[in-house]
Amino acid sequence: MRRVIEGSQAVAEAVRLSHVQVVSAYPITPQTHIVETLSDYCEKGLMQARFMRMEGEQSCLAALIGAELMGVRTFTATSSQGLAYMHELLHWSSGARLPIVMAVANRALAPGWNIWADQTDSLSQRDTGWIQIYCEDGQDVLDSTLIAYRLAESVNLPVMVMLDAFYLSHTYEPVDIPEEADAYRFLPPYEPRFKMSTADPHSFAGLVPPVSYMEMRHDIALAMEDALPQEVQIEEEFASIFGRRYSALEAINCDDAEIVFMTSGTITSTTRLVVQKLREQGEKVGLLKIRLFRPFPTDLLREALKNAKKVAVIDRNFSFGTSGIFAQELRSALCNFSPKPLVFGYIAGIGGRDVTPAIIESIYQTTKSTATPDENGVWAGLKE
Amino acid sequence: MNLVMKNKLLIPISSMTSEENKTGSWRFLRPRFENKTAPCSAACPAGEDIPQIEMLTAQGEFKEAWEMILRENPFPAVCGRVCFHRCESFCNRANYDEAIAVHTMERFLADTAARYDFHPPAPVASPRQERIAIVGGGPAGLAAAWFLARLGFQCDILEAASEVGGLLRWGIPAYRLPQDALLQDVERLQAAGVGIFTNRRVDETFLTDPGSLYQAVLVATGYGKGQMMGIPGETVADVLEGLDFLRNLREGKQIPGEGTTAVIGGGNTAVDVARSVVRLGGKAVIYYRRRQQDMPAFAEEIRMAIEEGVIIQELVSPVEIERDGSHLVLSLQRMAVSGEEAGRARVVSAGGSSEAVEAQRIIRAIGAEPQEPWMAPPPAGPDTIVLSHSRIVLGKGQRPVLYTGDLVNETKSVTHAIASGKQAAIALDIFFHEGAAAVASRLAGCTVGDGSSQSLEIYLGGERKLRSNHVVGYSEINTDYFSFAPRIRQPRLLIEERRRSFSEIDLKISAGLAMQEAARCFNCGLCNNCDNCRLFCPDVTVIREADTRRINYDYCKGCGICVVECPRNAMSLKEEADQ
Repeated sequence: MRRVIEGSQAVAEAVRLSHVQVVSAYPITPQTHIVETLSDYCEKGLMQARFMRMEGEQSCLAALIGAELMGVRTFTATSSQGLAYMHELLHWSSGARLPIVMAVANRALAPGWNIWADQTDSLSQRDTGWIQIYCEDGQDVLDSTLIAYRLAESVNLPVMVMLDAFYLSHTYEPVDIPEEADAYRFLPPYEPRFKMSTADPHSFAGLVPPVSYMEMRHDIALAMEDALPQEVQIEEEFASIFGRRYSALEAINCDDAEIVFMTSGTITSTTRLVVQKLREQGEKVGLLKIRLFRPFPTDLLREALKNAKKVAVIDRNFSFGTSGIFAQELRSALCNFSPKPLVFGYIAGIGGRDVTPAIIESIYQTTKSTATPDENGVWAGLKE
Repeated sequence: MNLVMKNKLLIPISSMTSEENKTGSWRFLRPRFENKTAPCSAACPAGEDIPQIEMLTAQGEFKEAWEMILRENPFPAVCGRVCFHRCESFCNRANYDEAIAVHTMERFLADTAARYDFHPPAPVASPRQERIAIVGGGPAGLAAAWFLARLGFQCDILEAASEVGGLLRWGIPAYRLPQDALLQDVERLQAAGVGIFTNRRVDETFLTDPGSLYQAVLVATGYGKGQMMGIPGETVADVLEGLDFLRNLREGKQIPGEGTTAVIGGGNTAVDVARSVVRLGGKAVIYYRRRQQDMPAFAEEIRMAIEEGVIIQELVSPVEIERDGSHLVLSLQRMAVSGEEAGRARVVSAGGSSEAVEAQRIIRAIGAEPQEPWMAPPPAGPDTIVLSHSRIVLGKGQRPVLYTGDLVNETKSVTHAIASGKQAAIALDIFFHEGAAAVASRLAGCTVGDGSSQSLEIYLGGERKLRSNHVVGYSEINTDYFSFAPRIRQPRLLIEERRRSFSEIDLKISAGLAMQEAARCFNCGLCNNCDNCRLFCPDVTVIREADTRRINYDYCKGCGICVVECPRNAMSLKEEADQ
């Protein structure tokens, strides 16, 4: 059924269709509509989930860790400071191998207080062992949330599904909402590989000495690696049921492109238009949308960029002291690869600033006219 | 279908229950439940277990609460009315919002006991051979009789007046202490088997009578005689003595009160006299040589006296009284503050000529002394044991004589008299069981906290004996667990009615209000099973049992969270080595 809904509601629809059993929530703009909708669904009986209002985000994740250990499917959503507040337990949930799914409405971090779009919140959690999916539109958000449960449960790692603040969380778009039966076919009830039981008491997540800890960490690394082929398989199955195909990367006009934009989130949609326009003007330009950030799809990237001369990475995020985070990741992915394109990093749209077609076009022109990239990146649209 | 998972899902899971891991071995600090002493109970001359009384009252266990009072003080109906409630001045809650109205709770419990005809449980000790004579049936003698009876002694009160009660019967006006309230407490003595003999005046020879029935004598005759001012004209007609005036009133005699009455003095007797004069239709002026704030009378009584129309003239000292026809002329010397002594102003003559005031009558109430010289305790000697609230004279091979109440107490109050009676009773029990040498040291082991009062409960080895003597301070209360609540307002007779009647001023309160007030109590140092310790323990080591809690030391790591989160400091944390 096709309905015009907010990105936040698209997340909630997916959670409803996933038969989540425990939802924990603490409100933070721009995530609030997600948990508000779920609260409504739980109250009306549209979902058979225990909805827990917590006293903070750390407790939200702690509660889900407890619930997951009892073998149930769980969900929470947060943003910005809330995600930062969860940090310790982000490590905890992946270390305990709990397939929790969380939606993150990407929002800038304070101070100064800013509730608008910025990916630094989730990207600064890149080393916590969570799989990360960045969404472009409402449909992507809904589908990625359903896929997230399959992916999480296939490798026993938690998954974050990212949606840009307001551009996606609060924007109404037509979204195709799957039928219950199809969703059920794609995502059957959760069957945990381990769980706590008072009938067979064990202590979970206890002390692990050096003799075993390293193997356990390596096992998580293997699980992350494994997530790439699992994702391909799951997307395949998703496409066969719903007719919509997703992948870790989406490459548009990359085969013959000399300059390729690399984007994530909603900036991608604007860039699609710019690329189309530039192509019409005869420019050899392509677009590489990155959807799966963890695990990082290195091989797919190398393949997609094998013919490109230059890559213009647009980062709505920044790692102080180096550069935009996607640019950084791309550079490291290409480092041992030859021949490799030059990586031009651009910082744009920080703290919710609009990334207009004009800005993207100017990025293209700068990339085209510059021989050697600035390693720290160029701040696009910066006021004098 | 998902692909087969490549990783092995290596996760840390214990092979057995985590109960195998006795985390208690990590502990170097040991928390424990340790009830302590509340500042109110240490401040109470009678050593009442106030936090326990309030806890029971808050729970609606009124009979148990009332019995809890009786363990340390036989006269809740009296003390709920006339005690100056030192406890409230030491209440930790006063640092937070307002002190608990302990005396109002005591009065409520006494009212409830009367209403439902509660009877105390049977005495705790087995009967003893010794018979004890108690000379004087005032608060000290009555209290001594009660505690001696509890300890198994047969005792007789020999009272010179027609009724027992002493100051309670004859020296406090009915608007503060109605007769039925006193009777309520006295009747219980008779039920406990105490012999009460009225109109039985004894003299000095009684103390040494070789044919006496008694193995010990308690002298509890109080301070029944008003002191003279030592000024000219003091003995002319219509110059009366305060205690005599109050006695006449309580005997029901017709007392003229019209015109102006000058009252000399600043103690409770002076204020009682002045307020009685108002009720008799007259005008009362109190003349006091120091300032109003230096008056030894209870502040609340002074406040109410002023409310009722009593005038207080401070910093004036009487110098002479003369009769001038139908009235008296009182000459007064103005005084000036010259310094401070023991928290009160030191005053000296301000010079200048004296002022004269007229009055129909003058009533002196400047202090009292023993009725007869032999009643005063002899100076301490080798055969004397001087205790905080009593003095034992062993004599030479004769039976011991104990001096109690106002005769020995520094603070002359009803509750101090009760403390004295109790101390004397315990001292006698020790004397007969263990001999004179044991008295002082055994009594020292029965004090409540750092106070000077003794507890019969502690003497008898009850639960209170297990409590630490540490007096809980306000900083040791975790006030996060309390919320502001106003203190109960004592309902009172309207001022108009007070001015014309001797009816009791303080009215009864409802059970609901009493429970509400009692629930304000921090219960300092006393576990009330609130379970904060259990809820906060990260190792789930606080075990809940029917009416108690215990710590499972197999798993307690000694983090001390329970101790910090205890609202009332009923737990302690010590190093393992110090246990």
